[in-house]
Amino acid sequence: MRITSRKAVLSGLAMAGIAAVLAGCAAAPDATKTTAAASKYLPCMVSDSGGFDDKSFNQLGLEGLQAGAKAIGAKEKHVESNADTDYAPNIDSLVAANCNLIITVGFNLSAASLAAAKANPDIQFAIIDDAADANFDGKVDEPNIKPILFDTAQAAFLAGYASASYSKSGIVGTFGGMQYPTVTIFMDGFADGVDYYNKQKSKSVKVVGWDVASQKGSFTGGFAANDTAKSTAKNLIDQGADVIFPVGGPIFQSAGAAITDSGKDIALLGADADVFNTFPTYDKLYLTSVLKGIKTATQAVVEASAKQAKGTFDNVPYVGNLKNNGVGIAPFHDFASKVDPKLQGELDSIKADIISGKITVKSYLSGN
Amino acid sequence: MTTVSGNLATPSSTPASKIVLATAVVKSWKSPIALGIFALVSIVLFGVFGRDGTSSFRLSSETDFVQLPVLALPTRAAGIVLSILLVLLAAYATWLAYRARRVNLWLIVVFALIFMVGFLSWASAGHTMPVTGLLVGSVGLSVPLIFGALGGVISERVGVVNVAIEGQLLAGAFVSALVASATRQPFLGLAAAMVAGALVSSVLAAFSIKYLVDQVIVGVVLNVLVTGLTNFLYSTVLSPANETLNNPGILPRIPIPVLSGIPIIGPVLFRQTIIIYIMYVAVIAVWYGLFHTKWGLRLRSSGEHPQAADTVGINVNRTRFWNVSLAGAIAGLGGAYFTLGSIGGFSKEMTAGAGFIALAAVIFGRWDPIKATFAALLFGFATNLQSVLAIIGSPVPSEFMLMLPYIVTIVAVAGLVGQVRGPAAAGKPYVKS
Repeated sequence: MRITSRKAVLSGLAMAGIAAVLAGCAAAPDATKTTAAASKYLPCMVSDSGGFDDKSFNQLGLEGLQAGAKAIGAKEKHVESNADTDYAPNIDSLVAANCNLIITVGFNLSAASLAAAKANPDIQFAIIDDAADANFDGKVDEPNIKPILFDTAQAAFLAGYASASYSKSGIVGTFGGMQYPTVTIFMDGFADGVDYYNKQKSKSVKVVGWDVASQKGSFTGGFAANDTAKSTAKNLIDQGADVIFPVGGPIFQSAGAAITDSGKDIALLGADADVFNTFPTYDKLYLTSVLKGIKTATQAVVEASAKQAKGTFDNVPYVGNLKNNGVGIAPFHDFASKVDPKLQGELDSIKADIISGKITVKSYLSGN
Repeated sequence: MTTVSGNLATPSSTPASKIVLATAVVKSWKSPIALGIFALVSIVLFGVFGRDGTSSFRLSSETDFVQLPVLALPTRAAGIVLSILLVLLAAYATWLAYRARRVNLWLIVVFALIFMVGFLSWASAGHTMPVTGLLVGSVGLSVPLIFGALGGVISERVGVVNVAIEGQLLAGAFVSALVASATRQPFLGLAAAMVAGALVSSVLAAFSIKYLVDQVIVGVVLNVLVTGLTNFLYSTVLSPANETLNNPGILPRIPIPVLSGIPIIGPVLFRQTIIIYIMYVAVIAVWYGLFHTKWGLRLRSSGEHPQAADTVGINVNRTRFWNVSLAGAIAGLGGAYFTLGSIGGFSKEMTAGAGFIALAAVIFGRWDPIKATFAALLFGFATNLQSVLAIIGSPVPSEFMLMLPYIVTIVAVAGLVGQVRGPAAAGKPYVKS
């Protein structure tokens, strides 16, 4: 009797474990959702391995797709990739689903998107954060793929200027997820903005974590909000930085934890979206965010491509910048009273100067 | 009769018949050669390619009770002095080897410390190296590795190869965040993390003990499964309700009176969260339990020689099942460190391979809880050193710096451990014949 009951407990425990594990297999997420609408045009999207709930560019891309589809009164389809090996099959499945426009999110999908664009010349493609230029001749490789790019260096320049102005210790820090051009473009702009502040005000605010000249800096080696990112932020704090700019998806959450842990008065900057709204846990820490208008850009591309005449394709890159409001910086929110009262005016005139070309912010998208 | 036995018992009583054993003189050149190479590297790096300037070491942070002055060293001079010391130590090791004496472990430890100081001062020329921050971060990064390694040691000692540490950490991280957020009770979160780890482990145990499936395959499959499961649940459950279900907060730091006031050691070891204090206790308890209690003896015999254990009345499979589950509970606690102890929220695949490094620490630590702990600390140190050096602008490219912890692991496992023998019956299911 005792033995059987123990056996029952044992097998029950094992079964519970198996059941918990199997629950993962059961309800597969319906990756392709469709919305009812009138137009026959079908815009579609493939995420990168970050998934559509990354609170960053995949999510913003999907929101843009949905907004665009709604505006033209059409259905949409989107497929999430879980690994790098999913990209090509996911694109193929959308081709098979008779999509008219396939938007791929992230430069990791570059090779797969170019191959699919070549194989399907009658479908319009678009890719976010990639120049679609695999042979580096400065031109888009296929006539039917439209790159959607963002010169975030311009916006990060403003954020760098604001950080330098806010910093009391005279040291500001930045770190990235991985050394990708889409990450370092933020860090370049940030450091250049600090430099510009130093020149204008004859100050010597230092940037730790990124060196523009040598293109070397600190990276966590991934885009997960984990302990590695936290200790990187902590190491920046140990260097005396009182403004920290983490670039790369959710790693700002780790930086927020490190700041809270240190008990010091340190400001945090967000990237891509206005983190004050998307991740309010650390709303007391956010100085500002460098915005990347993925949603509006994606929506614009969906609407424009739906209006194209049948059989014509577009491969002119969309480059978001301060001029077309494709990039920008978020309001100071809670920090509005803490920053120099003249700062907003200075930022406005710098922004005007960047738009007019009086100040050039160097990046791989600015063409110089 | 008596004379014969007397002769046998005391052969040395008659000097004429003393047997001289042929002793082979073994000269081990491994350590002197290794030390010599490192001494050579130090001369080239610190002396020939020495950097000018001053290296500062900050030994205390602003909040410390005892303020130590910043230690400033002229980089090139310090490098030359230290490399001379290293050469002398290497020469001493060579002399020891020549005299066929063993190179003391302490010699190697002192050598490694001096080399490290030399390297740090070389790398931080013109900058300030925050020594306390470097060490605090190292301990923080090694906490999940230590818990994972303890789980691995128990599991492998009892005879089940535990490749699923990664899955147990991830399950612990996910469940602790969810439970602690939903109940607003961080300690319930810790308990839930242990249950989650044990649950993953019990699947491993059930399949490998009862159904005799290859343990490595079950472990790998479990890792993939837990990754998929937590990703899916994060997207569908946690992400839409981030504020209520994925916002457990971070456990407060509890400074231990007096001890936390000690310079350097205080902030590193005694100004931590409850999870880290549990870890100290766990390391000691597992070590004592394994080698000094009845439980440990039964556990080890099940992993070394299950037939013999069975013969003396130990139920091998039951011992294995419960201890593998216990191992999972310990690893699950390590997972809770990611969410409750460090970040204050779960994110996809946040363990990022820590379970596999913990597995390496088990082997590097020769299936011994204390040695495995030191192995995990070494890895944590290498990871944080990489980060600090990247920030202060090291002369080494960042891609290469990111490889540093893994290089240290490979060198440590391959070079220092060499051929090791794990528990004899690990990985072999026990079937009573």
